Amino acid sequence: MDPDSLFQTANTMVLPGWLALLASPFIGKWADRIAGLAIPVLLSIAYTGLVFAFWSGAQGGFDSLVNVERLFQSREIVLAGWIHYLAFDLFVGAWVVRTARAEKIPFLLVVPCLPLTFLFGPAGFLAFQAVRFIHANMPSTAQKGEAA
Amino acid sequence: MNTIAASPSRAQFARSGFGLSELFRREPFFAGTASLMVIAMAPTLFAMAVDPRQFQGIDIWEKPLKFQVALAVYLGTLALFAGWLPKGMTGRLTYRIFSGVVCAAVIAEMVWIGGAAANGIGSHFNVADPVMGALYGLMGVLAVTLTSASLVYGIAFLRDRNSALDPAFRLSLGLGLVLTFVMTLVTAGYMSSAAGHWVGGNASDAEAIALMGWARDGGDLRVAHFFSTHALHFIPAAGFIAASTLKPDAAKATVWTASIAYAAFTAFTFLQAIAGRPFLSFL
Repeated sequence: MDPDSLFQTANTMVLPGWLALLASPFIGKWADRIAGLAIPVLLSIAYTGLVFAFWSGAQGGFDSLVNVERLFQSREIVLAGWIHYLAFDLFVGAWVVRTARAEKIPFLLVVPCLPLTFLFGPAGFLAFQAVRFIHANMPSTAQKGEAA
Repeated sequence: MNTIAASPSRAQFARSGFGLSELFRREPFFAGTASLMVIAMAPTLFAMAVDPRQFQGIDIWEKPLKFQVALAVYLGTLALFAGWLPKGMTGRLTYRIFSGVVCAAVIAEMVWIGGAAANGIGSHFNVADPVMGALYGLMGVLAVTLTSASLVYGIAFLRDRNSALDPAFRLSLGLGLVLTFVMTLVTAGYMSSAAGHWVGGNASDAEAIALMGWARDGGDLRVAHFFSTHALHFIPAAGFIAASTLKPDAAKATVWTASIAYAAFTAFTFLQAIAGRPFLSFL
């Protein structure tokens, strides 16, 4: 399989995961199994296989920006890097949904964080931490916490 | 009636819902390392699909995959057998250290073989590079270490007079395991002292027989290695059937006969390879 079609496949593969997260109020357990486990595992297999196959042929390394650039001159390594994003962003998305449910954060507040995590991983993670902080300090939440 | 009540009767397999959790209960280190080998097959298969590189005429990832399968089967079998070891043996600290060392040897072999494949170089027989040459020697020691588990198990079965196992089945476990160690040591040891596993013929796997990958056009020392190492399956399987169908004395005699026949057959495949003749070249 060539890198371009693998790229398309991987990109398409995460969409059901993100849709499952958006539908998580209705399919909680399955959303977590799909987005928090199944799809990240499949992507991790692909990533690991790509590293097995193409790491030794790539130049560069992790120690300087120049070396990272050199690493990414290999298309297969760029593909592996992209799959890394796809897998871990989705995994973080699943963690966001799980954490929000455990902390009784209204799902409506989680919804904006999900596309943000999908497109700009760490920015979505940061947004969710903000939501989490604000929610925890709301007088209503704090009261509930005391009552419980 | 002396049935194989304490042996692995079919009913017992069914009752215990025999599966992975039972293997983990019997020998957690071996079951865990076997699982690791199975899980590692997934990225290896993926690498096989995307990597265009070949080694000696076949996909470069075929060898790591074969070793993952073989080591998973080996450790899985030992984990299965561990449940019939003398009472208390697997709980002892010395045993656990030994078991841990065997697993470490298995993992090191796999990293070596997989690492060589990733780098597009040979693992076994690779003495061209000084580092790889030194590693090859070390890996030989580790290979003996991991195979020694079958000797330790075999002797434990043969010596266990208090075993609740059917005597013929216990004998087959003991003989199969000891033969695995002894024959593997001879066949693999001879092979590693040679320049490669081919005797005559082309040094390529491209024209090899299906699935096993043995040479069609000359001797292949891997054939005898395969049968040596699988004594621990064939002989206990024969022992299981004999113990379930025959009277105790006849069952024991059958196990002895099967063991001798199996060893003779393995010796034949070994001598055949040394003579440069192929095994089952029509496959």
